[in-house]
Amino acid sequence: MLIPQDLFYSKTHEWVSLDGDVATVGISDFAQSQLSDLTFVELPDVGTDFSVGDEAAVVESVKAAADVYAPVSGEVVAVNADLEESPELINQDPYGKGWLFKIRISEESELDAMLDADSYEDLCPGA
Amino acid sequence: MAWSVSFAQPVPYAQGLAMQYRLLQARQDGAIPDTVLILQHTPVVTLGNRGRDNYLLKSEEGYRAIGIELHHAERGGDVTFHGPGQWVLYPILHLGDSLTDSHGYLNNLEEIAICALGDYGIHGFRRAGKSGAWTDAGKIAAIGFRLKKWVSFHGMSFNVCNDLSGFQTIVPCGLVGEPVATMKTILGSACPPLERVRDSLLNHFSTVCNRDLERYDADGKLPPALESLVLGLGM
Repeated sequence: MLIPQDLFYSKTHEWVSLDGDVATVGISDFAQSQLSDLTFVELPDVGTDFSVGDEAAVVESVKAAADVYAPVSGEVVAVNADLEESPELINQDPYGKGWLFKIRISEESELDAMLDADSYEDLCPGA
Repeated sequence: MAWSVSFAQPVPYAQGLAMQYRLLQARQDGAIPDTVLILQHTPVVTLGNRGRDNYLLKSEEGYRAIGIELHHAERGGDVTFHGPGQWVLYPILHLGDSLTDSHGYLNNLEEIAICALGDYGIHGFRRAGKSGAWTDAGKIAAIGFRLKKWVSFHGMSFNVCNDLSGFQTIVPCGLVGEPVATMKTILGSACPPLERVRDSLLNHFSTVCNRDLERYDADGKLPPALESLVLGLGM
């Protein structure tokens, strides 16, 4: 199970990478492996304001659907349009081409409450 | 430790769904441990998130006329049928709490069904690209679930001795030309009683998902934390 060191993680298996005040959000390798082959992704609209913990997206495989939560508060500034045609990118490259959306962070202190890779690994049995 | 609650009488779909939502909330809040509901539904056709209406072979009125309800469910998976004689397993589990969860929840549900079939000498197997548990006579277990905050709800149905005519009103799981079977299709008069199959499913749930089960009956004494959640069924 892949858990890159340089990312922030949530207890609900989202990851965040930071570039200035923009957070890129995706789901972890553990999360994608629980859902098997993804077939559909429901992404938020650009411009949507989320508070931390809001339901932000839905990822679906043939037999499963899981909610994805906003790991930080802020405005959605971009979504990964490639996922509409190729949701399997999340399975193939969860930390790269499988990113879901980008949020302009409004409360930077929320990142302090997120987990580092080592703490997150403790949450993933068998990782 | 986890709990199971079994229901002797078929539960209308809407009531079962409301109960699942109450348990889901309670599990997310940490008010209850992982809990599995095992029940039968009164006749109902349900569509998953991506369920396509063209897999329904009757109109809404047409279903009503033959005593089958129609519901949209926010689960994965496509259209399916539930009715008496079929066990429905609704595990409300926080995924990630057990090492075996890393095998994948879908895989674990399939394993439970295949092991339960094995208890009665039926060879169950997976088919590539088609989830669920299959036999040479057709599909016996269908799966569709949803995760909210990594707590599962909905789950798996398992055909024991149900009347298959309900499946003839749909294209099950959108799989054209694929037969559906029950244990009774295969075993005939040797088909075990429903209660034994329920116990097999719970035994294998406990092993496969690595959770010790305290088993309760819905109409018997329940843990206090569950009483108000399971109430409201008029049973």
